[in-house]
Amino acid sequence: MPQVKIIAKNFIDMVASLPAVKLDMLYANPFICEAILRSLPPLAKKYVLQMMYIDAPIPAKSLEEWVLPDGLSKHRVAIDRLIQLRVLSETVDRKKETSYEMNKKFQINLQKQLIHGGILPREPMASSSVILPSSEELEIYALEQWEHFLLHLISSNQSEKLTNFSSSMMKVFQRGLLSQRDKEASRLTEYGFQFLLMETNAQLWYIIREYIANAEERGVDPANIISFLLELSFHETGQAYNINTLNEVQLNTIKDLSDLGLVKLQQGRKESWFLPTKLATTLSVSLSDTATRKQGYVVVETNFKMYAYSTSKLHCEIMRLFARIEYELPNLIVGAINKESLYNAFDNGITSDQIVSFLQQNAHPRVAEKVPTVPENVTDQIRLWESDLNRVEMAPAQFYDEFPSKDLFEAVCDFAREYGALLWDDSKKMQLVVKGELHNEMREFLRRQKQ
Amino acid sequence: MGIHGEKSRHSKKHKSSKDDHHRVTEDGNAYFAAEDFDDDRIPEGEPKKRDFTKLELKPDHLNRPLWACADGRIFLETFSPLYKQAYDFLIAIAEPVCRPESMHEYNLTPHSLYAAVSVGLETETIITVLNKLSKTKLPKEMIDFIHGSTANYGKVKLVLKKNRYFIESPFPEVLKKLLKDEVIGKARISAEVVHGADGFTVSKSLNELGGGHDDLLSEAELAAAAEEKDTHAFEIDPVQVENVKQRCLPNALNYPMLEEYDFRNDTVNPDLDMELKPHAQPRPYQEKSLSKMFGNGRARSGIIVLPCGAGKSLVGVSAACRIKKSCLCLATNAVSVDQWAFQFKLWSTIRDDHICRFTSDSKERFRGNVGVVVTTYNMVAFGGKRSEESEKIIEEIRNREWGLLLMDEVHVVPAHMFRKVISITKSHCKLGLTATLVREDERITDLNFLIGPKLYEANWLDLVKSGFIANVQCAEVWCPMTKEFFAEYLKKENSKKKQALYVMNPNKFRACEFLIRFHERERGDKIIVFADNLFALTEYAMKLRKPMIYGATSHVERTKILEAFKTSKDVNTIFLSKVGDNSIDIPEANVIIQISSHAGSRRQEAQRLGRILRAKGRLEDRLAGGKEEYNAFFYSLVSTDTQEMYYSTKRQQFLIDQGYSFKVITSLPPPDCGAELSYNKLQEQMDLLRKVLSAGDDAVGLEMLEEDADEVALMKARRSSGSMSVMSGANGMVYMEYSTGHKRLVKSKPKDPSKRHYLFKKRFT
Repeated sequence: MPQVKIIAKNFIDMVASLPAVKLDMLYANPFICEAILRSLPPLAKKYVLQMMYIDAPIPAKSLEEWVLPDGLSKHRVAIDRLIQLRVLSETVDRKKETSYEMNKKFQINLQKQLIHGGILPREPMASSSVILPSSEELEIYALEQWEHFLLHLISSNQSEKLTNFSSSMMKVFQRGLLSQRDKEASRLTEYGFQFLLMETNAQLWYIIREYIANAEERGVDPANIISFLLELSFHETGQAYNINTLNEVQLNTIKDLSDLGLVKLQQGRKESWFLPTKLATTLSVSLSDTATRKQGYVVVETNFKMYAYSTSKLHCEIMRLFARIEYELPNLIVGAINKESLYNAFDNGITSDQIVSFLQQNAHPRVAEKVPTVPENVTDQIRLWESDLNRVEMAPAQFYDEFPSKDLFEAVCDFAREYGALLWDDSKKMQLVVKGELHNEMREFLRRQKQ
Repeated sequence: MGIHGEKSRHSKKHKSSKDDHHRVTEDGNAYFAAEDFDDDRIPEGEPKKRDFTKLELKPDHLNRPLWACADGRIFLETFSPLYKQAYDFLIAIAEPVCRPESMHEYNLTPHSLYAAVSVGLETETIITVLNKLSKTKLPKEMIDFIHGSTANYGKVKLVLKKNRYFIESPFPEVLKKLLKDEVIGKARISAEVVHGADGFTVSKSLNELGGGHDDLLSEAELAAAAEEKDTHAFEIDPVQVENVKQRCLPNALNYPMLEEYDFRNDTVNPDLDMELKPHAQPRPYQEKSLSKMFGNGRARSGIIVLPCGAGKSLVGVSAACRIKKSCLCLATNAVSVDQWAFQFKLWSTIRDDHICRFTSDSKERFRGNVGVVVTTYNMVAFGGKRSEESEKIIEEIRNREWGLLLMDEVHVVPAHMFRKVISITKSHCKLGLTATLVREDERITDLNFLIGPKLYEANWLDLVKSGFIANVQCAEVWCPMTKEFFAEYLKKENSKKKQALYVMNPNKFRACEFLIRFHERERGDKIIVFADNLFALTEYAMKLRKPMIYGATSHVERTKILEAFKTSKDVNTIFLSKVGDNSIDIPEANVIIQISSHAGSRRQEAQRLGRILRAKGRLEDRLAGGKEEYNAFFYSLVSTDTQEMYYSTKRQQFLIDQGYSFKVITSLPPPDCGAELSYNKLQEQMDLLRKVLSAGDDAVGLEMLEEDADEVALMKARRSSGSMSVMSGANGMVYMEYSTGHKRLVKSKPKDPSKRHYLFKKRFT
């Protein structure tokens, strides 16, 4: 399985992980420079602004003087971040004195951007020529698109209408989230479950990151996509932008983005345009800023019943991961958590903690203030059922069979016993089981006996 | 509704064989089959998905409290401002499935609708109110279902007026239909004065008032409901009443008759001078249940369901006081007879010579022509030879016309027993009381038609919240089997000792001992320890030096032990076998420790919990946030990895459906206090193990249900076993009391069918 670590990283983390050349290319775009600035931790922001017009390297010592002693840890974080993003470069001179210098390209472009303000490559279309949806409509549209995409992602057969994404692209997204065993239908992995429990923004990031990481395979320069996405975040939500302002790469990208709910595509009689949604404009903002809590919808009762106030098929699918769905009503999903459903979840690598925290984080406002939010007997039981599964510990062992002679069998048994690794033996059938770690020695011993 | 189908099939399967275990002795001691040990509520596998997403939400659905599904399931939000009204309405028309804190579930069934109709709700009212409360448009299937189920129910009433039986109905066409039936036609006594062509007596009657759902109806609808209606009636021959009733049951004409007693106009039967004493203040839910019974000025027959400890007896006594006629009160055993007699004297102004007890030990007779008789079901239903004295009293009971037949604990009495009792006694009105109307099988159906519909059922959690019953902290204590006991448990040759092995598990014993110490010393509580397994009961009680009561304990000794438990500071713990499950009133107890139980019986669990539900202490302390929020404790001790775990989950289901939750405790006794408890040393544990293994198979509960039990094989095994330990509670299928007056031990070996009581005969042929 490819190593995909899902941590609620943001866009900027991804930018930071780009190779130096690509980063320098990105900094040619003033919008990206501003986006980077916006995303920085407060102290780092301050440093960038203070150093904006300083051309010479600044000794680390003088930088350190700017902060109070108790702010030192924050100072470290800020500096590390800036170096990571190659906004600052660190040099150590012969006297072992460290000093920092700002990335010239970044500095110049940011100066421009701050002095002249950004000029987008395209202007909103006149409102007379297009009919704009209200901001609520647009937001609903965005969430619907996104949910639809997720549903398609986790269970391809569930969603009615297929997305624009090619199945190979879908597979890329599913990589790490789903696992396929033999010919069974693919199932969510532990990461997949974590992913579903994340907030929309974090989920979006995961997908965008995969999308960008995969760009090269599709013959597209990732930097192009990154810069387009960052540019998008400076567009105005709900305004129409003419599609003819886009280049070819952007044109292809915008279709995918509309599948994710980042933009809405509309067509007039002569022209086509796109409307960025909130999902697009909050792209460059760091996650912690947007961690506005969504309203919860789940009520868990002491009898292990679960009532979810939701119309979302996605929620239903998420609940199905660890509960039995009993009723689906227009705005309510009724489920029951039981041992079988939980064992199923554990089997898929979902942990009790994940389930419990999902239930707690998504608690309906009616029960959210209660302590505990989820009845104690339910959370206890979920954990107990899980720990029940862990009572048996698996250790590798080797089974040996078909001995040519009783003597050899006895000798092998004695050998294994000597190492205290003999787990089981049956002298009648001439079979034995030995601890796995002794396997090499056993093989060696058997070979020697044969000679 | 697949779930119920599943259930009744299950219970049918083993019902007939279970009845083998009812035995009747002359002394009128009842021992009834405990039921539902394997009553599967959750069907295996993934149930059919019920997708009702297409139902149309009303625009103001947020203000409405419930969803109604096409399959009869109803979901109710308890936090809705309309909750109280909606609850009262739903409990009248539907069966509660589960009632935890935020969301209730109900099922609309033909029986529940029958009950609704019989408390005076009409088809259109049911649909209108339901539609008002529903967030969605009512599914057509549900409307059709309500129409279908109520079409015939409640249309016909059997009324006893001035000792003449009348069949009444607002619908003359229905009466005509009935009269076409041969039996009914013959039973009719023609009226002298003929009104109209059909010859029915016509009178005006006021419709149901104070149904409680008025606030949910608009004024116009109310006016329509309150309109006077013509009632048509014809008289029938009193001798033919039973036959006519039979003909009206669903398997025949399908117009089940509601029975109402116009007691105010009954001038033939003498009045009994009794009133509620001023200090007897019925609580709101008691009032409500009484109002369902006396809703239209007459007395309806039916069942009232209240949790144990919520004051069922006050409801019974109040009903008797309203009717003010002779009353026959039936209880399950002698102890409970004493308690009922006491309750009558406590709450009402009845004169001592107007109330009498009729048991094997006390054969009192009341003086005068009116009074209250308290007795047991078996005293009345017994068909064998009685003593001369008993025969006389029974004769009196037979010949008297009773105003009220008050039946306690109706859930434990088998249907054929009811049929017998009801056919023997002539009563105008029947009131059944119970705490746990758990099953939805044919036995409950029988009750529906034999006694009457469920009139009211209180919500446990609501009563807890308002402080009327104790707030019980329930806990399931997991006791790991010791290595040695578990090894024996797994051996094939010990299959008959499994129960003894997991009950005698030293870790369980230590947990029990620890809990007793803790509650006695730290909190000064009064503790009941329940054990179904007699071997374990004896071992535990002897080792811990506590008094115990089981089937063979004499009435005198029983009373003595209970008295000591109530009053003495030195007796704070008693051990009880199954005999303590029902109707022994021990209000002082507030802690229950259950060390062994009858397989998966939900009812037993609820009944045992009921022993400590009576609220103690001051009201304000008991309410949420008060200093004694939990002042009652229910511990169920289970040995992990044994079949007990599996049963335990089943047993708790009823209580969990009522909103109770079981906290799992995994580490008792705490590691730091293990040394002072028994069986701390391996040697002691091994001695105990040897004792268990050397005890005879029958002594340690031969017939305990194995989890993979094949019903038929199991029944056979049970039938062939016949030792005392089996009968007195070890196996849990039955319990019996022995009358000390006769000192007769009853062997329960299969008897010669010809000698058996006729009620049981057919089971053997």
